[in-house]
Amino acid sequence: MWSFILRRLLYNVPVYLGILLLVMGLLRVRNPVYAYLGKNADEKQIAQLEESFGLNDPFIVQYGRFLWKGLRLDFGESWKYQGTTVREKLLASIPPSMSITVPALILTSVISITVGLMSSFYRGRWIDRLLVIAAVLGMSISFLVYIIFGQFFGAFLPKQMGLEWWPLEIGGSFDLWFSMSSFSVFGLRVPYPDINAMTWVKFCLLPVLISVIVSMGYDTRFYRAVMVEECNRDYIITARAKGATKRKIMFVHMLKNAMIPIITRIMTTLPFLITGSILLEMYFNIPGMGRTLITAITDMDYPMIQGFTAVIALLYILSIILTDVLYALVDPRVRLS
Amino acid sequence: MTGRLLRSRGARKFRRNRLAMAALGVILLYFATAVFLFFGGVSMEATKERVAPKHTPGFFQTPDLDQRLAFAMHFISEVDSATRLASRRDQHPHDILVEKALAERRPARLEPQRYDELLDEAFGILEEELDLVDNIADHPELEPRVERVEEIAAAFFPMPTGWEGRAYWSRTFLGSDAAGQSISIRAIYSIKVAFQIGLITSVISVLFGSLLGAAAAFFGGWVDHAITWVFSTLSSIPYLVLLSVLIVVFFGTIFDDPERPFLSLVPIYVAFCSTFWIGPCRVIRGETMKIKELEYVQAATAIGFGRVYILLKHVIPNTAHLMFINFSLLFIGAIKSEVILSFLGLGVKGQASWGIMIRDAKDEVASYFFWQIGAATFLMFVLVLAFNIFTDALQDAFDPRHVD
Repeated sequence: MWSFILRRLLYNVPVYLGILLLVMGLLRVRNPVYAYLGKNADEKQIAQLEESFGLNDPFIVQYGRFLWKGLRLDFGESWKYQGTTVREKLLASIPPSMSITVPALILTSVISITVGLMSSFYRGRWIDRLLVIAAVLGMSISFLVYIIFGQFFGAFLPKQMGLEWWPLEIGGSFDLWFSMSSFSVFGLRVPYPDINAMTWVKFCLLPVLISVIVSMGYDTRFYRAVMVEECNRDYIITARAKGATKRKIMFVHMLKNAMIPIITRIMTTLPFLITGSILLEMYFNIPGMGRTLITAITDMDYPMIQGFTAVIALLYILSIILTDVLYALVDPRVRLS
Repeated sequence: MTGRLLRSRGARKFRRNRLAMAALGVILLYFATAVFLFFGGVSMEATKERVAPKHTPGFFQTPDLDQRLAFAMHFISEVDSATRLASRRDQHPHDILVEKALAERRPARLEPQRYDELLDEAFGILEEELDLVDNIADHPELEPRVERVEEIAAAFFPMPTGWEGRAYWSRTFLGSDAAGQSISIRAIYSIKVAFQIGLITSVISVLFGSLLGAAAAFFGGWVDHAITWVFSTLSSIPYLVLLSVLIVVFFGTIFDDPERPFLSLVPIYVAFCSTFWIGPCRVIRGETMKIKELEYVQAATAIGFGRVYILLKHVIPNTAHLMFINFSLLFIGAIKSEVILSFLGLGVKGQASWGIMIRDAKDEVASYFFWQIGAATFLMFVLVLAFNIFTDALQDAFDPRHVD
């Protein structure tokens, strides 16, 4: 087992180095400093920024320095927000993202696994057909449209109709309620949000619901396909032959055996728990990781882009390794290949 | 390669699926429209022309009194300023008004003093009756007066009749956006943009990806390692982040110029192609792994064919069905991603597209104006739905492992 984990880790090291190489290379196709400062920058400013970003050194030196500093999460200072380090920005933007993505993932998984199970159980009957049709229809609508109409019907319209008690907000004043406390570990300030239930409902419930509805279509179809495949296996026929109840077959036999694809599916969405949904964060004005990264990209804030991509890619790779390990735990055959 | 695929058992199964054939019909209809548009069916200028006062609603709806009044006043105030300018310059007001025409709705040439008479009447109604109430929408008894104002506006700018009238109707039947541009024309023009992006990126990605995938699996060794490394690297960066970084590379170059709408699509092509090829590459690699162990490949080797020949002649043609399935999956992906990128301001520039329309419509929804988002969403929905059904049917017919 340990050798398997070690093999997976070692295999992914060149992949990670490749990602950093790719991102750093892409960001240096055009001189970052010119891109950030625009056409009317003066020489002194340019020289200063180039010096502080280490652009005068050869690429390989920059790459090495980035790796070395990256080990301590030191990605330098943001250009746009003078005086704040990328690490502070990074740590501050994780909690807002997670306050949306974690509930969304749990809700989506529970609901769509149940629906998928139901759909495969009533396979070919009207309820199954209805669910399949609904899933295909739902998949064909753009995410943006869900968000726009979700905001309209979920928050705007009830407010317009004068429902004073309606709790959901379109967002916008996220910063006001999202006050941060922090504790320190090994000299690293780790912020955590002071969330109380009411403010969570006010600002986060609507994006969570929208995200659940959007992913329902894809997930339901996937889980249904998994279950249907399991339905045709011999062990189900055996269970049926020995007289197990349908419910027991469904929840005990089938669900357990369908666990591998389910785990994989959930694990692959884990990195998005941290990166958050870029679109939801943009629309609901949530200062999460996705939004911060996209604003950094449009602002040409190079240290931010580099640091954020490095961390996101690392999390992504770690979750892939974790998936492989879990896989190997559940299914010993994987370890050998 | 395609000929054999079309005669295969899977193809027959596909043809029996009526829903899938209907979906194929819809796709072909869209495609024909796209081709028609590509060869100049609707010019880009037509999508930018002002055709009506801003936020004109479409045809199922009669606007509120205050909106009707606002539309009429749009024309009347144009005439008002034109007559003042004309008297200063000693010109006929018509000469100035010609520039204010909204597509086919051109100004009529009246006697110079007739302009003043009508204007006086309109402003009289406005000042003495309509301005006295707070909200005209709450006073249905004022409707005849508003109608009179509308008549005056129509006297200045008569509704076109005959063929011109029909052309004008086709531009305005879905209303107009915030800049007074025709929603119907823009939504239909977007079909071309969607097909341009979808076809180019998915054809290139599928061909490139399948070739690499097949080569990786067939040759194995370092080729396989290199290709696997490249695609696992690319797929370990979140998709939208990679797309945005790739597009940012083109910022400030000639590919970032709204004045050159065709060139400004190039960053999208590059970004999509460099991420989309991974999907087909993975699938085809897996399939080739299986195929290369099959007897007919061994037989071909035994006869003495070269490895590249076997790869191109025997292996890749047997993955053709997967290529088609991936093509249609990528097409859907391209259309959806275009919308998202355009929203983020990284997508289509300088011309209409469904993403641009949905982005523009974002704020209109708060004032209960759904025409723009409705038109864009509907056209996109039908196309994506047809592609979804088509893909499902393809998988059903050709992929034995696919679960119905």
